[in-house]
Amino acid sequence: MSICLEISEKLQKGRSKDVSALVTQALEEGVSPQTILSEGLIAGMSIVGEKFQRNEVFVPEVLVAARAMNAGLAILRPLMASAGIKPLGKAVICTVAGDMHDIGKNLVKMMIEGQGIECIDLGVDVTPEAVVAAVIEHGAQIVCLSALLTTTMSGQKDVVDALVAAGIRDQVKVMVGGAPVNQQYADEIGADCYTLDAASAAQAAKAFFEGN
Amino acid sequence: MMTNRERALRLLHYQPVDRLPAVHFGYWRELLFEWAEQGKISMEIATKASDGNAYDQELDKLLGWDFCWTCITGARMGLFPAFTPEVLEVLADGTERRRNRDGLIERFKPGVVSIPSEDGYTLHTREDFETLYRPKMQFSADRLPSSNVIEALKNGQKPDRPWGLNVGSVLGDIRSMLSVIGLSYLMYDEDETLLADIVDTYADMQYECVKAMLETGISFDFAHYWEDICYNSGALLSPDIFDELCAKHYKKRNDLCRQWGIDIISLDCDGVTRQLLPTWFDNGVNTMFPIEIGTWGDQFEAARNKFGQGMLGVGGMDKTAFLKDKKAVDAEIERMKRLASLGGFIPCPDHRLMPGSSFELVQYYTEEIKKISL
Repeated sequence: MSICLEISEKLQKGRSKDVSALVTQALEEGVSPQTILSEGLIAGMSIVGEKFQRNEVFVPEVLVAARAMNAGLAILRPLMASAGIKPLGKAVICTVAGDMHDIGKNLVKMMIEGQGIECIDLGVDVTPEAVVAAVIEHGAQIVCLSALLTTTMSGQKDVVDALVAAGIRDQVKVMVGGAPVNQQYADEIGADCYTLDAASAAQAAKAFFEGN
Repeated sequence: MMTNRERALRLLHYQPVDRLPAVHFGYWRELLFEWAEQGKISMEIATKASDGNAYDQELDKLLGWDFCWTCITGARMGLFPAFTPEVLEVLADGTERRRNRDGLIERFKPGVVSIPSEDGYTLHTREDFETLYRPKMQFSADRLPSSNVIEALKNGQKPDRPWGLNVGSVLGDIRSMLSVIGLSYLMYDEDETLLADIVDTYADMQYECVKAMLETGISFDFAHYWEDICYNSGALLSPDIFDELCAKHYKKRNDLCRQWGIDIISLDCDGVTRQLLPTWFDNGVNTMFPIEIGTWGDQFEAARNKFGQGMLGVGGMDKTAFLKDKKAVDAEIERMKRLASLGGFIPCPDHRLMPGSSFELVQYYTEEIKKISL
């Protein structure tokens, strides 16, 4: 078994310490950071995402796998930066104003990062102005907006409106999700994409960056 | 004329009723403040109404409700004594990090009315469990209501509604103590017996609470669980793991209830519940509640088709109709009439009524639902 495959398998089982050790070992054996990232970490997280969509694994397995991925990434990040390896793209993610709930948002963030996309997490209760500022500052191409409550989902529309007002709506793809959100609502507020779950969101983001 | 209690019990036993009862599941507090500002109710009611208390009963009268399904009675089923709530930290923007009564650490932001953000937990290791939690998960007689309250419930005049016994929570409470992340990490980080030990310890205590309540001689019409272990895509954890951890506890508790003549056992779980229904139904839970069709698309008919007439339901009315118009409410009333005609089903809004709900549309709904006889 190749060491990257081993990393992928340990990641799928949520074994953070094993992933860290194997990433370090792979680097010592001369495997490039890019290869470890794509064939080990991202490959493993993609499998977790697919299994999540098929109800073969559930939220706990995604969370421990994402934690294992982060353990591996922590070792690779400095090396990737110095080697000039860039992420697939950049996404700004947050829970909208008035809403403090972040479980769904964090799951989406983990899954998107698992596709090799840099995720700028603005946290919870984030104003439209803060989202616009972050998009400009980081040059993000995707905005992911989470809302748990029927009382706060209108905050997603406020962000879309703010992006229009700032003249940058055409520069970003707006993805929305959360318990009360559906495709009809996404269409009504002018969002580009609605997905039911975190794995689908990550797939949609990846497809966007790959031009599909 | 039948009583509300008779109507509810007859409906859930497939018997005809003179009319449907108007049953509800309470309100978001923000809605009550909205209604107070609109002059529909007093600020005192808006501030003080809580499931089943005098203010809530006054609100029932104003809106035309007959009763709230979740007004139930029971022992203190949680951590006892609970953790003392405390503010751990105040961040620069005023956000407070607080430890709650379950040991969960949450973030509250001033001026933001929302379910708080989970930000940590207290139960990380077996040592945490043994020293901090296991002592709070023991049965003792002081978990029961006072003898005066028990006597009043045994002999006094009860409100006209089916009388529900709180039978607790097998995993939902533990998820509340740990957070979703904490529960997940615990399953994979610690020795594999720890989560099962926690569940078993907590469940054994709750079983003793239920047994003690039944032995008081208070007469109960139904038993009621709270779980909230699902979300918009289904179960929060593997149904197989859930079954392995929880099934035996449902069976033991539900068998006890049945020995005492309770044949309606309802379970409150938000979200899409279908993946966990087999564990619940196979082990004695027979009444889905609140069947969130509006927000999550949960379905009663699918469950009835799968499990047969043994599967009962309370809920299923899309509460978002109260945000819309009379036409939307009429459509829900028609749907409720059809579901009720299946038997074994009581219409009820599919969760607490939310801000923006029309006071007049709720009144209209209760008037119309009470015109339906079966």
